[in-house]
Amino acid sequence: MSRPGFVLDVDDRTPPLIVHEGLGFRLENFPLGTRVVYPPESLPAVPDVDQAIREALLHPQDMDPLPELLFAGMKLTIAFDDLSLPLPTMRAPDIRGRIIEHVLTMAADAGVDDVELIAANALHRRMTAAELKHIVGERVFRSFYPQGKLYNFDAEDRDNLSHLGTTEKGEDIEISKRAAESDLLVYVNVNLVAMDGGHKSVGIGLASYKSLRHHHNAKTMVQSRSFMDHKHSAMHHSAWRIGRVIKDTVKVFQIETTLNNDIFPKPYDFLQKREWEWSVKDQATMLGMRRGLSVAPAKLKHKMFHDLRSVYGLTGVNAGEVEAVHTKTLEKVHQQQLVEVQGQSDVLVMGIPYVGPYNVNSSLNPILATCMGLGYYFNSYLGQPVVRKGGAVILYHPLNEGFNQLHHPSYVDFYEEVLAESTDPAVVGEKYEQQFAEDPWYRHLYRTSHAYHGVHPFYMWYWAAHAMDHVDEVIWVGADRKVASRLGFRAASTLADALEMASGTVGTSPSITYLHNPPHLLAHVR
Amino acid sequence: MSTPAKGLVTGGIDDVRQVARGWRWGRRSQVPRSAEEFVLPAKSTVFPSDWSRRKPAIAAREVAQKGGLQPLFRSVSRTRVEGLDVLDRVEGPVIFVANHASHLDTPLILLSLPDEWRRRTAVAAAADYFFDTWWRAVGSSLFFNTFPIDRRGGTMAATPGEVLADGWSLVIFPEGTRSTDGWMGKFRMGAAFLAKEYGVPVVPVAHRGTFAAMPRGQGWPSKGRRQLTIRFGEPLVAGADESVRDFAPRIKDAVAALLDEDRSTWWEARKRVAAGAVPDPSGPQVAQWRRVWEQTESPEADAPTRRISAWRR
Repeated sequence: MSRPGFVLDVDDRTPPLIVHEGLGFRLENFPLGTRVVYPPESLPAVPDVDQAIREALLHPQDMDPLPELLFAGMKLTIAFDDLSLPLPTMRAPDIRGRIIEHVLTMAADAGVDDVELIAANALHRRMTAAELKHIVGERVFRSFYPQGKLYNFDAEDRDNLSHLGTTEKGEDIEISKRAAESDLLVYVNVNLVAMDGGHKSVGIGLASYKSLRHHHNAKTMVQSRSFMDHKHSAMHHSAWRIGRVIKDTVKVFQIETTLNNDIFPKPYDFLQKREWEWSVKDQATMLGMRRGLSVAPAKLKHKMFHDLRSVYGLTGVNAGEVEAVHTKTLEKVHQQQLVEVQGQSDVLVMGIPYVGPYNVNSSLNPILATCMGLGYYFNSYLGQPVVRKGGAVILYHPLNEGFNQLHHPSYVDFYEEVLAESTDPAVVGEKYEQQFAEDPWYRHLYRTSHAYHGVHPFYMWYWAAHAMDHVDEVIWVGADRKVASRLGFRAASTLADALEMASGTVGTSPSITYLHNPPHLLAHVR
Repeated sequence: MSTPAKGLVTGGIDDVRQVARGWRWGRRSQVPRSAEEFVLPAKSTVFPSDWSRRKPAIAAREVAQKGGLQPLFRSVSRTRVEGLDVLDRVEGPVIFVANHASHLDTPLILLSLPDEWRRRTAVAAAADYFFDTWWRAVGSSLFFNTFPIDRRGGTMAATPGEVLADGWSLVIFPEGTRSTDGWMGKFRMGAAFLAKEYGVPVVPVAHRGTFAAMPRGQGWPSKGRRQLTIRFGEPLVAGADESVRDFAPRIKDAVAALLDEDRSTWWEARKRVAAGAVPDPSGPQVAQWRRVWEQTESPEADAPTRRISAWRR
């Protein structure tokens, strides 16, 4: 039986608590009275994954069973989430691969010949063959990749995009032509957090810049409160409008999966235990790891963390009509991640781990670290933000990983040139977004290399727009001062220093909440 | 030493220190108060103690008690023992039933007993506290001849009966746990049940001063050799028609009367027993601090501080 999440009040019995900071972690002694939000423990996994998948495909929500939708001579497209999900990467076999195998088995039985598989990476980087293979599995990879029928979506391939019209609010809908012209589009997702899935899958994953710019902008993001709550997120409202138009054109069979919180395999499992329950072995492992990390070169640390593969258990799989499926999916996600939190606090503390959606097998550069902290973690709430309006956010990350030139070339220019001029998401978006989005060199790297799209760093900055608008102070503990300053923030050596620095904003005895994340949590703030 | 190596060492020492302090190395780990309701029920890993009642262990215990425990105990406390003459009038095994206020209670009782009784006396100890790790189980069995009992479940484990049947006398603290304020708590019925079941007498034991010397939460007796007093009472035997439910309160009353006797005199205590006016051993219903305050005072031995050595125990 897994225990629910809860809010710990730090007292004299509380041991130091783990705080992630990039390629490492520290033990922090929080002030007495600090609230610490712990996610629920891992839900039990479904006992038979194949049976659960079969069940979902044969008894879908508000749609006919999948075999009835398949027929000889049809055009079938299977799209799937890219490597930005789940985080960390799942240990093989990936759940998407298992589902795709089931879908393909049914398609083969129905005599379907024209099948293409598209990674719905939107403006994310193209995945390598090995990364694709990890997701879809060896069987599927061998059957489709060499023939060019398994590929990454290219949002800049004008010939293979299809404009489906506009929404009632004038939002362009431009998605993959293959997907748009298919008789059936099967979308296989991993709904790691509440933000994922629903109409966001096809409407964003297979869309071009022309379509994405309508909701991926500072104005929409500030109104997405939070983007983990699609009913109160302007971004999702836009995606839903787009999705409903797509639904009228393309038959979408959505398959959504939910995972439990088994993120850290042995010997890292102490990182997801409650600290006061650590055994002597856990303490020794932690001490050993801390020492090892303190002397390990950056490359080794990077390898150590990025080679980690999570042993997630599947908690649910639902298939059928997008919205009906997503409602069921969200129930499971909430069951795994939701924690009731009473009221806001003056200060919100968050530790940024080594990986986010955009640096799988890459480095967490300062912009991505900001996106993780002020974007994803800050927005991990329902109701109202964990920190009050005008409060302070304290983040832990050294901000010293630098930029991966292969994956994030436009980030370098964004950091050096754009942020040097302004850190206001609305201002930089207005002035520079178009230029980066249409830059031929970035476009070339996105299409032929493994680079994120030129406009992508802007999107990262927009993710943080709501937090930047909401809080008055952002302080990074243990960060490179120059980098923090370039981002428009301040750096402190310790938590005590950070609280001292924040005292001008929140006073000398602020209420503090620390989100003990990862594993993933979603604070329902009353 | 080069700087990284130095950093490795000093950082390592700092880390170990922080963990040692945070996770209370050498002491019992604690759960933050707000997390208590989410603690999983402990797995029952009770270590066996049969070995501790065999000859090699008995010999080792004799050395440990006489050579280590006794001198140490005498060096940190002064004791006054009364009423041992009752043991001349009773055949073992018996069940010694005492109030429980401190970890000093067990050594006080054991070291107060005549050697031939002490060697054949075992102590019932909470399985979840004394037998949860091997080293704690070995330590307590070796020094105090403890055996595990389950204090959470309603039924007693099989062990106490077996130990008793083997001819060992038992020390049982029917309160089940140490008092938080020095006053006596509720008595559970395990001791009465055993006495009735195995037809052995119960010897009530009352002691005072252990709470003042080393209350709950303290790891070592307070300085200054605090005075402890212990008094053994007349053996009680359950009547043929007496139920466990009737016998248990009788044991408690006997301990209460002994406590009263220890505070005053035998004669006054007897009169109060006759009048049904024995002071409530659970203490006055006043503010908690006053209850603790009263118990933090060590009992004054009525005898001169330095008794003739032959009379001292």
